[in-house]
Amino acid sequence: MNIRKLAWKNLLRRKTRAVFTGLGIFLGIGTFVALASLTAQMEGAVRDKLDKFGANILVTPRAEQLSLGFGDISLGGAQVAHAKLTMEDRKAIESIALKDRLRIVAPYLLAAADASGKDFVWMGVSAADIGQARPWWKISGSTIREREEVILGSEAAAALDKGPGGTVTSGNRKFRVAGVLAPTGEKEDAMVIADIRDVQALGKNPKGVTFFEVAALCKDCPVEDIVAQIGGALPGAKVSAIRQVVESRKAAVDQFRKLGLGVSAIVLAIAGLMVFVTVMGSVQERTREIGVLRAVGFRRRAILSLLFWESGWVSLVSSVSGAAVGLIAAMLASPLFGIERGGIAPSPALIGVAIGMTLGLLGAIPPARKAAALSPTEAIRSL
Amino acid sequence: MDPFIHLENVSMIYGNNGTSAAALDGVSLSIDAGEYVVITGESGAGKSTLLTILGGLQVPSSGAVSMRGVDLSMLSADGLADFRRETIGFIFQAYHLLPYLSARENVMVPMSPLRMSGRAKADRADALLSSVGLPGKEDRLPSELSGGECQRVAIARALVHDPPVLLADEPTGNLDSTTGEQILDLFSGLHKSGKTVLMVTHNRANLFRASRAIRLRDGRVAEDDPFLAPYQAL
Ligand SMILES: Nc1ncnc2c1ncn2[C@@H]1O[C@H](COP(=O)(O)OP(=O)(O)OP(=O)(O)O)[C@@H](O)[C@H]1O
Ligand SMILES: [Mg+2]
Repeated sequence: MNIRKLAWKNLLRRKTRAVFTGLGIFLGIGTFVALASLTAQMEGAVRDKLDKFGANILVTPRAEQLSLGFGDISLGGAQVAHAKLTMEDRKAIESIALKDRLRIVAPYLLAAADASGKDFVWMGVSAADIGQARPWWKISGSTIREREEVILGSEAAAALDKGPGGTVTSGNRKFRVAGVLAPTGEKEDAMVIADIRDVQALGKNPKGVTFFEVAALCKDCPVEDIVAQIGGALPGAKVSAIRQVVESRKAAVDQFRKLGLGVSAIVLAIAGLMVFVTVMGSVQERTREIGVLRAVGFRRRAILSLLFWESGWVSLVSSVSGAAVGLIAAMLASPLFGIERGGIAPSPALIGVAIGMTLGLLGAIPPARKAAALSPTEAIRSL
Repeated sequence: MDPFIHLENVSMIYGNNGTSAAALDGVSLSIDAGEYVVITGESGAGKSTLLTILGGLQVPSSGAVSMRGVDLSMLSADGLADFRRETIGFIFQAYHLLPYLSARENVMVPMSPLRMSGRAKADRADALLSSVGLPGKEDRLPSELSGGECQRVAIARALVHDPPVLLADEPTGNLDSTTGEQILDLFSGLHKSGKTVLMVTHNRANLFRASRAIRLRDGRVAEDDPFLAPYQAL
């Protein structure tokens, strides 16, 4: 029999109270761990996307009438050959001082042209780079591997009533439909996508480029420096770091983290209060018992450590189980948050257990001090 | 040479409103080592108050208490706790066992803050339990023991640190007379083994076992007789 065991026996005797005390911590830590590990997973996923998918810099001609962002570029039938950028500019971009940090420099040309008798916007891409530049594209069939092949945006495919293996004609040229793009929600759904050289030929704009997308290699790249260097290399171009889907997702994750922290803080504060109230109640209920312990020679420290052990046992058990349940909940919920590879993030769980223990012990301080301060006779009135 | 236990003009006034009467009113007493003192008196005479002051469970409003030459008023709260552990064994009318612990564990409670192996603590508890006549009942809970057996467990608990002084407040008050006699036999044995025993009692039979009888009335010592008091009290 030692203080630790005495505390444990006491808890077992007052199971309901112990469960109630622990419930607050259990729920608090469970919530915290679930939210924290979801946030961590989401951040991880966003980081991955930023690294892999992110075209973070857009290079467009410095032309007044051209609004920024290719989604907004409106192209009338005739004034297609607007591009003032050329394929030569790619070499200029690829020779900036920070060229090692560039992962992809992808040229795009937008041109209006006929496709099997209907007017479409054609998007010329670098067939070699498109897989890396648009990794989220889901193509039924295959991507374009050579010239004279096209991918149809989902709406274009519907309008033309063509699928993989079909043929699209433009003037006297024939293109094999290599694949059809699953809907992306972007403008390319209505476009015909082909090798940039084919689109240059169709648009009678040899070497022409509407814009470049430049992807840097890492999440913390010196994007500002890269922008400045490209701007220096291409004085006639407008170079801007673009806010893209992924980055706005990052903002959403930040919001989510703030929300999660707020909710966790509230739940944890309530948990601490519950520990305080229940330990306080247990002290009142046990005044006589504490008096007996004082009478048999327990020092005040021994009383303190008895109550701390009790609260410590409760908070250990409840924060460990809360953390476990929180992790499981996060794993189950991660698909709802668009996380494909949900994994276990151990650090929120460890932090959660630490917080739970701290809370349990902090909550027990005032009642334990009160108990230790009781005079032994006050404690055993019934002597 | 200092007496073993000495009270000098000890008063106890509960509360702090001036109107309240003194529970103890200028009590002076000396008790030698090895005495067996019974304390009697009407309800409210101050018997329990006297015992708790002697045991260092509370501090008198005025006056001095010393035991084995140590002035209790000089001790800190932890000093008093150490004093209680080393010098005093308390036995209560209501036993005050912890209901969720077995007899053995109850006896081990006073040892729980000590750095000793659990085995050594358990052995000590078992030896004490058999010395008070409870061999084989070490694993019973208080609810599985009779009142007399509970009081035996409480006595074993009081003896854990082998204190020289036993303070008992109506230890037979909850027991029938036969069982009470058995408990009193235990106290007599402990007295013979050298313990100083102070016992508050209403049980007249006990007066014959004691070496001294003190009678309190309204917080004062009304009679203090080493040999005659028991017979006069009858
Ligand atoms: N904690 C307390 N606060 C206020 N008054 C108290 C307190 N404890 C005891 N008293 C009062 O002090 C007086 C002496 O009480 P005490 O308990 O010492 O009497 P007692 O002789 O043990 O009586 P009994 O035989 O009924 O146990 C009583 O008048 C009692 O009401
Ligand atoms: Mg009393």
